[in-house]
Amino acid sequence: MHAIEIDGLTRDFAPDWRGAKVRALDGVTLRIHEGEVVGLLGPNGSGKSTLLKIILGLLAPTAGQCRVFGVPSDRVEARQGVGFLPEAPDFSPHLTGFELVCFHARLGGMARAAVKERVEEVIARVGLGEAMHRRVGTYSKGMRQRIGLAQALVLDPRLVILDEPTCGIDPSGAAEISTMIRRLKMRGGTVVLSSHLAGQVEDLCDRVVLLDRGRLVLQGSVAELTRRRGQAALLVDPLPDGTLGELRDWLQAHGVGFHGVETPRTALDRVIWDKVGRGEPAGAGKS
Amino acid sequence: MKRVAFSPVRVALIAGNTFREAVRQRLLVVLIMVAATMVGGALFFRDFHFGSSELKFLEDVGFGAVTFFGAILAIVAPAQLFCGDIERRTVLTVLAKPVWRAEFIIGKLGGVLLLLLVFCTAMTALLAGLIAWRETGLMAAHPDAFEAGRKAAYAALALCGLAQWLKLGVLAALTLFVASYARSSLFAMMAGFFALVACQLQYLARDFYGVVESGWARGGVWLLGLVLPDFQLFNVAEKVAAGENLSVGVIGGLASYALAYMTVFSGLAVYCFRHRKL
Repeated sequence: MHAIEIDGLTRDFAPDWRGAKVRALDGVTLRIHEGEVVGLLGPNGSGKSTLLKIILGLLAPTAGQCRVFGVPSDRVEARQGVGFLPEAPDFSPHLTGFELVCFHARLGGMARAAVKERVEEVIARVGLGEAMHRRVGTYSKGMRQRIGLAQALVLDPRLVILDEPTCGIDPSGAAEISTMIRRLKMRGGTVVLSSHLAGQVEDLCDRVVLLDRGRLVLQGSVAELTRRRGQAALLVDPLPDGTLGELRDWLQAHGVGFHGVETPRTALDRVIWDKVGRGEPAGAGKS
Repeated sequence: MKRVAFSPVRVALIAGNTFREAVRQRLLVVLIMVAATMVGGALFFRDFHFGSSELKFLEDVGFGAVTFFGAILAIVAPAQLFCGDIERRTVLTVLAKPVWRAEFIIGKLGGVLLLLLVFCTAMTALLAGLIAWRETGLMAAHPDAFEAGRKAAYAALALCGLAQWLKLGVLAALTLFVASYARSSLFAMMAGFFALVACQLQYLARDFYGVVESGWARGGVWLLGLVLPDFQLFNVAEKVAAGENLSVGVIGGLASYALAYMTVFSGLAVYCFRHRKL
């Protein structure tokens, strides 16, 4: 079954009184299957946020259709089983993390008797167990992002939409959020991840959708899109002196083109994550 | 997928959350403290009662404080709590759940009405306590003047407090309507203050209707008088002070009048918010 079906979606905005139209989305057609983790990539103004808002029923399309689990996205029913984390959410500083997530759990229809246990569980899962009774105003940026993730996950949604979930978070915090997305994927959840970070999308997603100026310009599996056709790489231990020349000669003698030697690199955030070895402590103060 | 109907439970949840947020913003506490100081301060100025009785002077100052500080609360609270959610984008997390936009608007209004109810109850209770205390002192000093018992009408005082709450509720609904399409909380607050002045002076439109002759002008004035609620109708404290009886029927009429305007303004707010780009 498709989690999301989008057909010929177009959205125009009239930003000024003269009514000069700006086309934010232009005939986008897309299918997202249940259980898939899809990365939505594109530069600023490419239409990613507009697309997410239409999927969530927060914005009506000018033309085309969008269905979530078979229900038109403009209907309230389509939001059952959907969790959403907006970009850099700034929740009310006057509520505690626990109260905030309880409010969202009750709003989503969770029975009063089940709320406390579930909320404590999900807050502990995002690593804020010790800080859940502190006011959100005292949270650091990373902690706010995590409490946002908790409110998105508290109803155990079938579809999770994350808009720049690691925006402004340090590498260890981002790694923890990535781990949570992987867990969602393992449990068979559908995730739509909008991000500027191609590396993150490559690391987490099954499929990538690239938008540019409102148009879907590229889509496919990460493996498909990143494979260099007609080439292969060998990873070997450091070569002793003079061996490289022999290897090159041998390859050429066997009709295999030799294009160069590269030292494999580890991503810098991976280096930091390995060094720090843990996420931002839950009790950390406001940064 | 099961059908999602309009839910009073979700409205109550949003109202409760709005109320909790407002209380923790300390706006209510600060305004109650300032208003209470003003009411309490009236004791020190009671010699300047300009010929009216001391108890009436206290009542006038008390309800003056409720009107003034209550109006600030009725304008600032909906503007800040509603626009704040939009500016901070937290409204997106609420509306991304199976929640109707009408539930969000009515819940916000419900939270603000609860806030105003707490304010009016606290201030009326304080005023009643203050008047009772002074009346006891006056009874001891001038027993002859109080032969027939206490003079202050406490039940009427409570009804005056209720009338104030109804008026502030209409003002809050009007401000919420402006906030539903406003781009900033400052705009909503400014519009709310202008609306307050216009509603206080609405009776002028009625008077003008009686003297103007042009058909167009009469139509315009009639429309203005219909669109803007007449806040003078809610100033029942003056009528009570003038010796008029405040029947439950009068309060019932006022409640219906206020409810009608609140319904219209929140309906308009729902309409604007449903069409608003978030």
